[in-house]
Amino acid sequence: MAASIRALRFFFNSTPNIHHVSRCRIKHLCCRAGITGCRGYSDSTEGRSTHFGFQTVPEEEKAEKVYKVFESVAEKYDVMNDAMSLGIHRLWKDTLLHIMNPQPGLRLLDTAGGTGDISFRFLEYTHSMYDRQQRLRAKSRQTPSWQDITEHYVSDDAGPPQSRAVVCDINKEMLKVGKQKAETAGITTGLSWVAGDAEELPFDDDQFDIYTIAFGIRNVTHIEQALQEALRVLKPGGRFMCLEFSKVTNPLLARLYDAYSFQMIPVLGEVIAGDWKSYQYLVESIRKFPDQETFKEMIEDAGFLCVQYFNLTGGIVAIHSGFKL
Amino acid sequence: MSHALRTLATRVFSVQRSVSAQPLLRLVKIRGQQRSRSDGVKDSESQAFDVSLLEFLVCPLSKNPLRYDEKSNELINEELGIAYPIIDGIPNMIPQDARMIHKTEKPTES
Repeated sequence: MAASIRALRFFFNSTPNIHHVSRCRIKHLCCRAGITGCRGYSDSTEGRSTHFGFQTVPEEEKAEKVYKVFESVAEKYDVMNDAMSLGIHRLWKDTLLHIMNPQPGLRLLDTAGGTGDISFRFLEYTHSMYDRQQRLRAKSRQTPSWQDITEHYVSDDAGPPQSRAVVCDINKEMLKVGKQKAETAGITTGLSWVAGDAEELPFDDDQFDIYTIAFGIRNVTHIEQALQEALRVLKPGGRFMCLEFSKVTNPLLARLYDAYSFQMIPVLGEVIAGDWKSYQYLVESIRKFPDQETFKEMIEDAGFLCVQYFNLTGGIVAIHSGFKL
Repeated sequence: MSHALRTLATRVFSVQRSVSAQPLLRLVKIRGQQRSRSDGVKDSESQAFDVSLLEFLVCPLSKNPLRYDEKSNELINEELGIAYPIIDGIPNMIPQDARMIHKTEKPTES
């Protein structure tokens, strides 16, 4: 049964011009029916295989293929994000920051940070929060005594606690684009760029207050390993936050979303970025990612506590959060 | 008379030209120098690696601290004898891209 499903999948993959809706419907059936079968099949083979979108590829190849996808879309990544999500991705990322509510002086590791969207927002948020706190402090100091004034001057010499954001991504092209963005925006202090693998982070234990991975974890070959690494580099009391596409709860919205994903997004990809296949991979990889509850269990298995998730836009996107305690 | 006018005009203009050209040249030279200086600074900044990263940056394989080598612009793990390159100020900490320092041909693989 597994073999026949693989044959079917191969057949459909080799004829990419088949009408997308019917293809995705059949693929859904294949996926739903075949997931347990295929998993059994792959475990029994010598080399382990994983999914690359709806294709099955050896694990070693997946990382390389994902690298190539992001290398080719790096230049137009931000433009495509705006086009595909009609700008809503900005709201999703802003919501992530609001839920995170970072205080000034924290250290953030933005994994799969790519062009740095989350890090820029983090730095902006902490700076404005610091300004707000200063203003409140000034308001409460309207009629101070001389004692208070001298204390205020002494304490202000320290300056704002420096928030630090480190952007880590496996893809150097995405980091380059992000670094250019930072330079044009004039953000220099508090932001660092490192090329590294989320499954093998080049950071010491107990170093970061917050770990985020936005729209990146579904591209990682071994998600459990990435979660383990996240647990390792977080300080005790640190927060893990993951913003990722997830399963839509409402069936009507799910149908609309599927139609939009499989019909509009690759077309947009071809028109704007000149790359149909990468965006085909994108929408397929969203379907292969586990749903909210399953991913929550994976995070708990890794050792995080107080794991919860928030559905955004009807479940199109979910923010998972956990603490290292 | 016309000849005198002509020579006057040309001389005046030539003087003006030379007078106006010189500050322009100076400006261009300064701007050029500034540009080269700023380019140099920018290049060195963009190539220079943020040393404060070394606080928490370690080798992804052994999780041991690294040494920053300014000359070769690499981060060196003495223990395993591997060097991670720094490209445009971004350290490349992917094990497959690291270079073995010793003469052995074995590539580092995660």
